[in-house]
Amino acid sequence: MGWLSRLELSDQELDRYTAQIEEIIRYLDKLDSIPLEDIEPIYITKKFTDLRKDKAELFSSNPLGTKYRKNGFVKGPRMA
Amino acid sequence: MGDLYRLTASQITSGVRNRDFSAEEYICEILDRIEKVEPKVNAFVTVNKEQALNQARILDRWIRDGGNVGPLAGVAVSIKDNICTKGIRTTCGSNMLREYVPPYDATVVTKLQNSGAIIVGKTNLDEFAMGSTTEFSAYGPTRNPWDISRVPGGSSGGSAASVAAQECAVSLGSDTGGSVRCPASFCSIVGIKPTYGLVSRYGLVSYANSLEQISPMGRTVSDAALVLDLISGPDEKDHTTTATPAIRTTGGDIGTGADADKRGLRVGLIKELTAGADAEVSRIVYGAFDLLSSHDCSCTEVSLNAVDYALASYYTIATAEASSNLARYDNLRYGFDMDPEGYEWNTYFAKARSNFGPEAKRRIIVGSYVLSSGYYGKYYLKAQKVRALLKQELKSLYKDYDVLIAPTMPILPFKIGERVEDPLKMYLADVDTVIANLAGIPAMSVPAGFSAGFGVGVQIMADEFKEQTMLQAAQIVESGAGVNRSPDL
Repeated sequence: MGWLSRLELSDQELDRYTAQIEEIIRYLDKLDSIPLEDIEPIYITKKFTDLRKDKAELFSSNPLGTKYRKNGFVKGPRMA
Repeated sequence: MGDLYRLTASQITSGVRNRDFSAEEYICEILDRIEKVEPKVNAFVTVNKEQALNQARILDRWIRDGGNVGPLAGVAVSIKDNICTKGIRTTCGSNMLREYVPPYDATVVTKLQNSGAIIVGKTNLDEFAMGSTTEFSAYGPTRNPWDISRVPGGSSGGSAASVAAQECAVSLGSDTGGSVRCPASFCSIVGIKPTYGLVSRYGLVSYANSLEQISPMGRTVSDAALVLDLISGPDEKDHTTTATPAIRTTGGDIGTGADADKRGLRVGLIKELTAGADAEVSRIVYGAFDLLSSHDCSCTEVSLNAVDYALASYYTIATAEASSNLARYDNLRYGFDMDPEGYEWNTYFAKARSNFGPEAKRRIIVGSYVLSSGYYGKYYLKAQKVRALLKQELKSLYKDYDVLIAPTMPILPFKIGERVEDPLKMYLADVDTVIANLAGIPAMSVPAGFSAGFGVGVQIMADEFKEQTMLQAAQIVESGAGVNRSPDL
């Protein structure tokens, strides 16, 4: 689960969180005990034409905090 | 003077406008007050001293030159540190954003500044607004001004404490599952969660975006309503805001405003929530119930069956949205200093994100689980259906009732550290507040009495966009309960 969430967890954290998370998930199992076959989730829809225009806004200050840059790009880790 | 910091927002604006005192005098007193009480309370992550003084001086000059001023002129306001303020560090209570300075203001911040308010600082919160006690902040816990060994509530604990301790007049917090109402109750102040879509979330750092709303807090119903009026309204930058006209919630006595219904309100007290609360909390909530009854309101106990499942639904949806919203913290565009050289993408991502605190990590993991293949139908889809069921049940109740009341919190404030290692016990305290976020209805907490030196808030909920009705009931409780003290700090 740590990997699915992309979180590096220490052994201590694994010990601490496993029981806590199991308890939380068991509580969420409550959702199994209510009849929901005839209920539909609520959807809110918006027409594509009602969305604002996709217009880029330039910020005068440098909004990115990272100092790791090269040739006008932000530097990142390599893809596997 | 010496006690300008005690004044309400309307008193400050009137004083500054009439030149009874200058904005600079008032802000100096506020900053002195902050310096004096912060070592005990820790409400602020960042105090905005120089800018606040400059703004006050500019305002004073403007008034001297005969300029018109806005409805919050000179008022000291604090802003929860998950709401973006241009040029002022915004950390979300996290190490992940320790040095982040937003290049833009949230819509609500722009609106407050346009009305003359002065931002005195950014307040402490549980990391990324996940928590009910403000103990999960990377900047230390905030302490309850009424008893500094106890929690102020959360996640907007810093905002609530700053108002209760008179370090500012009003504050903006955010409420996803009770994060403004809970600390409002624990700190004995007023907190209003608006109808979903009434206030723009542009500039609010997302935790659970189908549930959260920016919410005003103040020492009086009238102050909180004034701020609500000023920050609400549709925003092109947030397409979850609605195009309904801004609600007028102010104008002297809310109850006798032009659109106010003259008949007594129909009040329903939610049985299940009141029975589930501590005896002292129930006693005070029944007290508020009786108060409303004696003011021409018809009061009945009602049942809300979906209450049993609301908390499970909330924690499924909220953690699911959190796991998605917090995926953006990859430490590349904003974050802390960690050279990506030599790392493979997934490893870098996981290592950087190990800097989240324990509660944020737990919620991300639970959220990923409930959305994962094979479990989506078991948890997330069911939670959304429970949400729809709850909304149906409430709509049906609101045909017969104008407002529903319940405790805001089922317990009194507990000691700092008491529940920090028991997350499920912590979550169970949200049972009264999550309903309003799931259904998108307005809800507020107003102080209704004291027990063992702690304020107890009563929660008032109305139907969508019926803030005015909700505030009417709140004013009755406020004037009847007569809770009119501040902590000794």
